[in-house]
Amino acid sequence: MTADINQPEKIGIPKEARTILKRIEADKTIYSRKLMISFFVLAVLMVTSLIVLGLDFKFMLKWLPFIIAGSGYTFLVAFLAISLACVLSVIGALGRLSRNPVINSIATTYVSLIRGTPLLVQVYMWYLALPQIGKALEGYGFTGIQAWFTLPALPAGILALGVCYGAYMTETVRAGIQSINIGQTEAAKAMGMTGFQTMKRVIFPQAIRVIIPPVSNEFIAMIKDSSLVSLMGVWELSYRAIKVGRRHFQSLEMLIMVALIYWAMCILLQYFQEKIEKHMARGDRGI
Amino acid sequence: MGKKTNPMVKATNIHKVFGKGLHVLSGVDIEVNKGETVVILGASGSGKSTFLRCINFLEEPTAGTIEVDNIVINAGERGKQRTEHILGIRKKTGMCFQAFNLFPHMTALENIIEGPITVFGQEKKEAIRYAEELLDWVGLTEKRDEYPSRLSGGQQQRVAIARSLAKKPKVMLFDEPTSALDPELVGEVVDVMERLAEEGMTIIAVTHELHFARDVADRVMIMDGGNWVEEGTPEKIFNNPDHERTRQFLAHIL
Repeated sequence: MTADINQPEKIGIPKEARTILKRIEADKTIYSRKLMISFFVLAVLMVTSLIVLGLDFKFMLKWLPFIIAGSGYTFLVAFLAISLACVLSVIGALGRLSRNPVINSIATTYVSLIRGTPLLVQVYMWYLALPQIGKALEGYGFTGIQAWFTLPALPAGILALGVCYGAYMTETVRAGIQSINIGQTEAAKAMGMTGFQTMKRVIFPQAIRVIIPPVSNEFIAMIKDSSLVSLMGVWELSYRAIKVGRRHFQSLEMLIMVALIYWAMCILLQYFQEKIEKHMARGDRGI
Repeated sequence: MGKKTNPMVKATNIHKVFGKGLHVLSGVDIEVNKGETVVILGASGSGKSTFLRCINFLEEPTAGTIEVDNIVINAGERGKQRTEHILGIRKKTGMCFQAFNLFPHMTALENIIEGPITVFGQEKKEAIRYAEELLDWVGLTEKRDEYPSRLSGGQQQRVAIARSLAKKPKVMLFDEPTSALDPELVGEVVDVMERLAEEGMTIIAVTHELHFARDVADRVMIMDGGNWVEEGTPEKIFNNPDHERTRQFLAHIL
């Protein structure tokens, strides 16, 4: 139990200790006040530098709605891709931990191959190279398969991002599962649970708490990497900003604006991440 | 004399070899009758915990046969039948660990109903009713909705005992249940174990709690170097052991 220092007389804290406690408390307040001031000064400096640079704010304001309209695509791509990545990462992690040699080798190769190649190349692979594979297969007598292998830009982008992040997250999930004490598995087994029940009821609910922070991190990274789908001509945030900026020779304004929009989105996500983590921490001491 | 019934637990010629040559158990036998309380004593590294864990296959015996309430598994058995037999034995066996191993993401009550619901498909209402009875029996009714992190070690171990009793086991295995506890908390756990023995549960306990061994055990077995040195009633073992090794060991822990 922590003592309430506002009512020290109740719990018999001596007077000199009370003075020290008050000073510690005052130091804390001073620190947080100074921190707020620093942030404020930093913000003012940033805004001033934008003004000094002579940014055309009217131009920015005019195009703001058009650019923001692209955030729908950004969220759509990031959300669907992270969902796919979550599913793949759980399957991948179970594969990596599997004692079945076929499953294990497939999962290990998936992680190694995807992590070992640039995302940019993978995006083009899904979009530009896959139809060629379809064509080749058609040549082997699979008629009609090429249509399936020719993906529109949006699905191609979602698949590329989802599969790529799935590989990274596979290792996160695997580490999360392995971080759970062996005693938990033993207790579940001794209870008579099957391997699947143990994973579902005991290991995974505990692992998820370890996994959530790095996965939120991946999601934030994904929001920004989703700009790669602009390579295929999807009208998302950054594509719009770049197009408009080039056409009017005002790239600086547009790029700064789009950067700020991404930043705002990530701050929002971080807020939700903290909420989820707090919720997940139930069962910990002191909550 | 009634008809001789099968022992509740029977292990025959259990060997356990770790890795390529660490021979921890060498041909251990045991027979424990229904309602009997057996305490296994031995120095650390003697193989007593490993043997206990072989009974419910948390440790897989390298050779030998385990029988619990008429379910028989041979160490060499393979395939689906083996898996079924192992699950069968585990369903009849409760186990308490040195580190309690409660599920930290579940409350005391949720820990207790987990087995009945997930493993036995019991209805939740019924499982909760019995869990509350068990909580009352271990004296923790008011901790029903607490998470393990908010419980003391002794309370955690008592919840763990209630948890393993929830499936109405035929045998209880205790693997040093008081070794991780502060001295003043040992009593409450030993007390629960004693009441369990009085109610006729078949118990095999690895413990250094000599008070429990002396007052509650029907039989004390001493293990050293992977097999029994000596066994007998507590009076015999503590007052007049046959073997020098037993004498040495007891001198160490008394």
